[in-house]
Order: sequence, then C-alpha cells, then structure tokens
Amino acid sequence: MSPRLVKSEAVVEGRTEERWSLVEDDHTPEYPDGPSPAPIGVAAQRLTAHARLTGSARYTSDIQLPGMLQAAILRSPFANARLTAIDAAAARAVPGVRAVLTPADGFAPGGSAVLTDAPAYAGAPVAAVAADDRDALAAGLAALAPEYEELPFVAGIDEALGRQDFTADPSEYERGDPDAGMREAAASVSLELRAPAQMHNCMESHCAVAAWQGDELTTWISTQGMFAIQAELADAFDLDLERVRVICEYMGGGFGSKDQAGAEGLLAAGLARITSRPVSVVLSRREENLDAGYRAPAQFTLEVGAAADGTLTAIDASAVIGMGRGGWTPPALEPVKSVYRCANVRAAVLPVRQNIGSPRAFRAPGVMEGVWALENAIDELAAALDIDPLELRRRNHADGDQATGRPYSSKNLLACYDRAAELAGWADRDSLKADGGRIRRGMGCASQIWWGGGGPPAYAEARIGKDGRPVLSVGMQDLGTGTITACAIIAAERLGVPVEDVRVHAGDTRLAGHGPFSGGSMTLASMAPAVRAAAHEVREQLLALASDRFEIAAGDLTLEEGEIRSVDGTLREPLTEVTGKLANAWIRGGGSRGPNPSGIAVNTFGCQIAQVAVDTVTGMVTVERVVAVHDVGRIVNPMGARSQVMGGILQGIGFALTEERVVDPTTGTSVNPGLEDYKVPTIADLPEVVCEFVNVPDPRLPTGVRGLGEPPIVPTAGAIGNALAQALGVRLHEAPYTPRRVLEALGG
Amino acid sequence: MRAFAYIRPASADEASAALRTGSARPMGGGTDLLTQLDRGIRPADSVVDLRGLGLDDIAPHEDGLAIGATVRVADLARDAAVAGGYAALASAASAAASPQLREMGTVGGNLCQQPRCWYFRHPDLQCWLRGGDTCYAQIGDHRKHGLEPGDCISVAPSDLSAPLLAMGARIETSERAAFPIAELYRRPSEDDRTTLTLGPGEFVTRVLLPAPPESSAYARAGERHAWSFALAGVAAARSGGVVSLAAIGVSNIPRLLDPEDPLAGLPGLEMTGWKRRLLAGLVDDALNAL
Repeated sequence: MSPRLVKSEAVVEGRTEERWSLVEDDHTPEYPDGPSPAPIGVAAQRLTAHARLTGSARYTSDIQLPGMLQAAILRSPFANARLTAIDAAAARAVPGVRAVLTPADGFAPGGSAVLTDAPAYAGAPVAAVAADDRDALAAGLAALAPEYEELPFVAGIDEALGRQDFTADPSEYERGDPDAGMREAAASVSLELRAPAQMHNCMESHCAVAAWQGDELTTWISTQGMFAIQAELADAFDLDLERVRVICEYMGGGFGSKDQAGAEGLLAAGLARITSRPVSVVLSRREENLDAGYRAPAQFTLEVGAAADGTLTAIDASAVIGMGRGGWTPPALEPVKSVYRCANVRAAVLPVRQNIGSPRAFRAPGVMEGVWALENAIDELAAALDIDPLELRRRNHADGDQATGRPYSSKNLLACYDRAAELAGWADRDSLKADGGRIRRGMGCASQIWWGGGGPPAYAEARIGKDGRPVLSVGMQDLGTGTITACAIIAAERLGVPVEDVRVHAGDTRLAGHGPFSGGSMTLASMAPAVRAAAHEVREQLLALASDRFEIAAGDLTLEEGEIRSVDGTLREPLTEVTGKLANAWIRGGGSRGPNPSGIAVNTFGCQIAQVAVDTVTGMVTVERVVAVHDVGRIVNPMGARSQVMGGILQGIGFALTEERVVDPTTGTSVNPGLEDYKVPTIADLPEVVCEFVNVPDPRLPTGVRGLGEPPIVPTAGAIGNALAQALGVRLHEAPYTPRRVLEALGG
Repeated sequence: MRAFAYIRPASADEASAALRTGSARPMGGGTDLLTQLDRGIRPADSVVDLRGLGLDDIAPHEDGLAIGATVRVADLARDAAVAGGYAALASAASAAASPQLREMGTVGGNLCQQPRCWYFRHPDLQCWLRGGDTCYAQIGDHRKHGLEPGDCISVAPSDLSAPLLAMGARIETSERAAFPIAELYRRPSEDDRTTLTLGPGEFVTRVLLPAPPESSAYARAGERHAWSFALAGVAAARSGGVVSLAAIGVSNIPRLLDPEDPLAGLPGLEMTGWKRRLLAGLVDDALNAL
C-alpha cells in the first residue's frame, strides 16, 4: 500500500471542482465482462426497509436526550421590514424559557449573523427561544411581541429584472456564430416559457439536535453532507474538526435542500452551548416552505433554428432566474449547451434578486427545468419541420461534450431512444390522438442529461470477525436513495455472503474516512470502488487463511453463499470454519476511491416517453404511463434503481402538473406554504412506470457505476409538456399544467 | 398553537352550555378546526367535542334518511342506503379530502368547515372575513376563487353541501327544528363576518334527507387525483321530473343553479374566468349522468 496524493476534477451539479485526495493503490480486479456477478444486478430489498416501516428507524426528530430543550425561530411575517422593537426580557421571564436570542445578541457563528433586524423576506429568522417544552416555547415566542416597520419589496421576476438587481453577474456563453446560424436556418421557432418555484417539501422537515460535552459538539441533523456540516460547525464554533461529530442515521428526504447546517443547526448548537442543555430544533411545514430553499423559478426565452433535414443550426437562449436573496445560480441553460449537437449557441443567464428566501439545489437543479424548456422548443421545431420528434433528436445526437470538446466516457442515448420508442409504442402515437371527444390523449418524449461520475475522496473499511458476518463502515449518509443497500451488495459479491448478512455502518462522521456529499448523483459512483476494494482486501485474507486451513491453494478457492468452496467442487465449508478460529481478532480491509481518468466527460443519459390524457371538461391532466430508459452505467440494485426512477418521475409530475409556490403580489408572502395548498403528487397520481436501464458498465470508471439520483427527474416534465401539446394541439407555456391553465388554453 | 381546553360533553344540553362559554368552538373530527387553531384563525379557549352525543347514526326517517352530524364522511360514503338512494351524496362523500381525512372528518364538520381561501387561512394576515379591512384575494392572487363579486370572494368548500342542497335536504340543530339546508349558510356581511347562520351554542345535530330522488349525480374537478378541495362541484337531482342543480366552489355559499341558465349571476373575476367554462362543463356532466 503506497498512498498517493492526487488532484482530480469532479463535476458536481455543473460545478467543476478540483480536489486533492489521498488514494491507495487499488489492485482489486475489475468485474468480468458480461453480466454483473451476483448479487450485483439482483433485485434486493433495502436493508433498512423493516426499520423504516415499523418505525424503529431513528430519525433526527426522534432523538430525545435527557434534559433536552425545544427551540424555535421567530420569523418575519413581512417581505421586507426593519425590526423596531422586540421584548427579549419578557420572553426570558416566561417560566420554562431557558434562552432567548435576538439580533442584539450578535449571534454570528462563523462570522455571519443568523438572526436579523432587517429581515428581507417573509420567513427570515429574527429571534430564537429555547424552552423546557412546547407550551413554554410558544409562550416565549409570543412574549417577544416584535414590531416592524414595513419596507417596499420586490417579489415578481419581471419587476426584479426591471430593476436590474442581480444576485450574481449575468453570464453569457457563446460558441460559433448563433446569428449566422439562425440566418442559415430553414425553419426556426421562438418560445417563452415559465417554470415555477418548486418546493422540496421533504417529508422530514429540516431539523437538528445538538449536545455539548465540554468543548465537544455532537449534532444529529437531517443532512445530505455530514462532513460538510462537520466543517461548517467546526468553523462556526471555532473547534477542531475532530471535536465535532455529526450523525445522520436515517433521513426522510433532502432532494438538495439539506446541504448546510442552516439556522436550525447553528441555533441548536448555539443555544445548547448557552444553556448547557441539549437542544432540538425542528422546522414546521410552514417554515419549510418559507426558508428552506426551492427550485429557482425561471423564465426562458428560446429560439432554435434548423436546416430542412433537421440539423440544428443555432440555439439562442436566455433564462431569467428568480434567485430570492441569492445563492448558487443553477445551471439552467446547461442543457441548451449540451443535449444536442449544435455549433452555434448563445446562452444568457440573468439571476435576479427578490425579497424571497434563497433557493437551494433541488434534484437536478437548473438542468431539469432547462431540459423542460429546451425539449418544448425541440418539439415545436419538429412540428415546424414536419419531422418525427424522436427522429429529430436522433439526428442531432451529440457525440461528445460540446462545451469542452471532451469525449464522453460512455454514451448509449441512441439505444435509449430505440428501446423507449419500442416500449411506448411510439410509432403508433398518432392513433392516441383526439377524435374530438372529452378525453384527449397524447404522447411526448424528452432526453435526459446529467453528470454523475463521482470521484474521490471516498473511503470504506470492511472487517469480518468470528461470526462470519461482514461489517462495512462507510463515510457517507444514506439520503434515502438506498446507497447503504447498494454498498452491502457490492461487498457481498466480494465476500460471497448473502446481502442481508452485511452490516453497514453509515451516517456518523466518527465511523470512517471522508465520503461524498449525497448530491450530484455521485454517492454510489464515488463509494462503490472504495467498498469493493475494502471487501476485496478482506476476501484475499480470508482465502489465504482458508488456504492454510484446508491446504488448498488460495487461487483454487472461492467464496460463495456464505461458504468457502474449492473451484473443483470438492470443498464446501461454511465461512465460519475459518472465521470461527479468529476468537476476538478481525480481518480488516480498507478502500479508497481513485480519480476518474482526465480529459473525458462523464455524464448520464436517457429518454422518457410520457402518455397523458386530458379531461377537457375538468382541465385535469392525467399521466397514464411513463416509459423510462436510462443509461447510468452498471446497475447494482435493480429494485433500488427502479424506485429512484419512480420517485424522480413522480417529482417531475409534480413540477409538470401541480406544484407551484404562489407569492402574493400585495404582501410578498407565500400564500401556499403548506401541503394543503402546495400540492405534491399523491400515490393516486403515479402513472404506470415502465423502467429499463441500458446497463452498460462505464468502461472508464472503476466498477462502471454512474449515478442515478437525479437523472430520472430530468426529462419527465418535458415529455409531459410535449405529450400535452400533442393531445391538445396547443402548447402551454407555463408549468405546472393546472386545470386553470389547460382550460384557459382551450379557450375558457 | 395556543393551549385550549378539550371538553367532551355527554348530552346536547351540556354541549350547548359549553359552547356558550368564552370562545368555545364545536369539533367533529377536528380535521379543519385543528389546522385553524394552529394558525391562529378564530382562536378558541375551549374545544367541544360533539362525538359523545350519539349523533353517529344513519337511520330511516320519514320517507328518507336521517344522518347524524358526527357520522364520519367515510361511513357516509360506505353506507348502502345512501349509495342506493342518493348517488350524488355517496359520490361527494367518497371524493372529498383524502381517505385519512374522510375517516376522521364528520358530516357536520364538513358542512360547517371554513372557506379554504389562502388569505383567510394565512396566519399573518387578517382578511376581511376574519374581521380585517381588506379582501386580499381581490387585490392579490385569486386564481381559485369565486365567480361572484362581493366583499369576500372565497368559495364554499363543502362537497357534501352541493348534493344536499340539490336534493332538498334539511338541517336540524341543537336550537332549531328542521329547516332547508340553504338556511344554514349566509353571505358574510359588514356586521357579521360569518358564512354560517349558527347562533351561540348552536350546532348541527342531524341532516334529514327527503325521499330518494329518481336520480342524482355529482361532478367535481380537483387539482390532483386525491386530497384536493373541489375547484368546483356540481350536484344534479331529479325528483318528480324536476331537475335541481347546486354548485360549490363558485360562490360564498353553496348555490342553486338555474338549469336553464346555470352561469347566471356568475360573471367571473379577473383571474377566475376559466371557472365559468369549468362550471358549464360540470353542469353538463352532472345532467348527463342523471
């Protein structure tokens, strides 16, 4: 083992990050060609299913510590205001109240104030109270009796654009000569499209429990990035990294919104330090909808031109993005640059500032809504050219990454198109069309692009003791996507044991070395090689011990079904025949993720075809069927993968049909910050999903695994929009496609 | 949420007395009441649970049925006599809310629920209906509001009220003998910002259905396939050859429509013109199903 320090690039949600990481030489053999060796590729129930279903799984808000206080945040009701009075003394005098923080206390861990006396959006944290119980907490919050001076605000994107108030410099990307390309075009289309603010509405709201022991901080927090939180808290409270422990055993969704300690994490830790008691902060559903991020709404303008044979000659696009108070600008026009081959592209992004909380990453941020916009335009173009929409997409297949000129590590999008068309009955789609009756049907397609190559650093440790049950420790949390189970599958293959025999420890910064943030569809692509290497190291030692024990050459032994077997079939002994001799000793192995090869682009691809039925009386759009064929490399757990696809599609349906934050123009506050008025899809809204994978391992990546968390949401709304346009004969330019918009489009 | 007392009286008199105390409010399943209290809408210092009063039966009554106020909406939807004679009511009961809410919510609670207007329900705004000066909906986003101009443009939300109105149901309360269901509702006025005619201490005890109509149907539109308040709902009933139509989701109160001119008096507002098309379609739908 000779560790090396290597610099590598990783693409995270469109941002290219350069990282140094320490990697060890990895002599683990790659998987053989052909089908993946079992249990890789065999459907496995998630290891946590029983605990989740029976309620024994412990989520952050289930944590109860002796003496724990409840804390909550007082938030501004106004879109823009100045706090003129607040009665901290009255709140402190409430029996059971243990701590009160107001802006005057200057609570600014890490240098940035958590509480403000100049709240610039409805929901901005103004004060916080910690109390013995919920009643005292409510009384304490009421006693604060804040007074505000209301100030003018900007809520609408148009108004914000008019003010030219940007959260980051507007950017313009250009390649080739878009104006000349547009002049060459035999046909062109021009569209304006509006995408809504989609709220994450994770079933588990943002929450944190913090407890101090001396100068050591332990924080249970629902997070996608426990190491990022560890670093944030260490910096905020000026602690050595090792003095901060972050635990996230189970979580009920994140979708990109749980990437920071947030006011809840910082206040839990801060109030716990002040009171010397553990403190719990759990956001309400309303707070979740006001101050926990959202998919940034966008207004797209697209002009696309093509030659008579369909070859794209130019794309000219702009996106005005509603960024609220600001933050990372999502790559909404990345799809315009990359999905189809086009030499002449202009893409202008204008992120505008509003008196609304900040957006956060939301499952394929930017790319999902950008694909929705682009795919609407491509279908319009197909109609203008009288070319089959899927055929137009095939003709403009991009062989490499056009922005960088790099080849793709692996791309099987054309196979996705063919298989999806076959499964959906695309050739007969015109027969679905209206006879002018009440229900009108249509079918539409859209392409998917996303990253998902993963990379270092990611570490795993494996061990096995006398009971023959492997234990895997990984430096990651399971966002809910089933990565724990996928890791167990990868280890089980090397160790020849049933998947359910592998115990996986995760979700605790003390357990193992650094692992990836659960975002950017990079968790498994990052972890899988490390897990495989760690398990392989254990395997080699097991075989060496078995070789001594049974006097058969290690090369003639194998591990299968919990047994040590000779390749000639003469020996079949349980694994415990070897491990049972270990007494209290362990066989250990470690693995780390190496860098991806340089000079290549690692992306995922796919195609979805949606079939919709529109009730022209009620305006209700029903997605009847979605065919999804994705190219995400090697499939580790088909059941888990399918479940990711179902979830992505359902969330895409939400964007397309029902989900939309509505901000009141008069007061600048959201009028639907709860699940009654903000409508996420229910199970009754789930269509038949036909899901397949190309399942071609990525030849350039260790283990051949790419990510899958984000890809399935990317094309769904675009496919639905195109299906709806076919059904109605008219295109809707604003999502979601609610009964109101459908009936208005029908001339209501 | 402010703390409140929970009272479960054993008799109607006790219940009435408890409801006359302070800012008490009656409770059936609590599915609407608790969300109101949580947001500080019409706060209460006590909640009077009516589920101990024996009002949970569906029984024959004269030529029709008597439905107790605390019969759960799900039980109404499952009842054979209701399904057999009053299809529109069974249909409305099975379309309301979500399965979980129907198992908790009661008939009386459904009829007496407060408007779903997102300004009325906003914890930080005090709209006209809650005693303030402004109907925020009229100057703001009223895409799902009514078709009728007025001081308040929120809409009647109760699915059950439409078929009951179309079928000529009567209401019995703790204070009043049976009266037509239309008289349970009122348009809020400057002096009295309520949509119900219930007086102090008064609560609905029974819904009385007349003899089954020859035919009835309910057509509604929602925003998704489960758990969506009706954007609009239309009930149609035919008795003795006479057709009655009633709608929710278009006006402050459940509203009878003229079968000859169902959109009369419902001009639509700036953002709700689309609902006229919807209402016309639902009327056709309900009539066609008779």
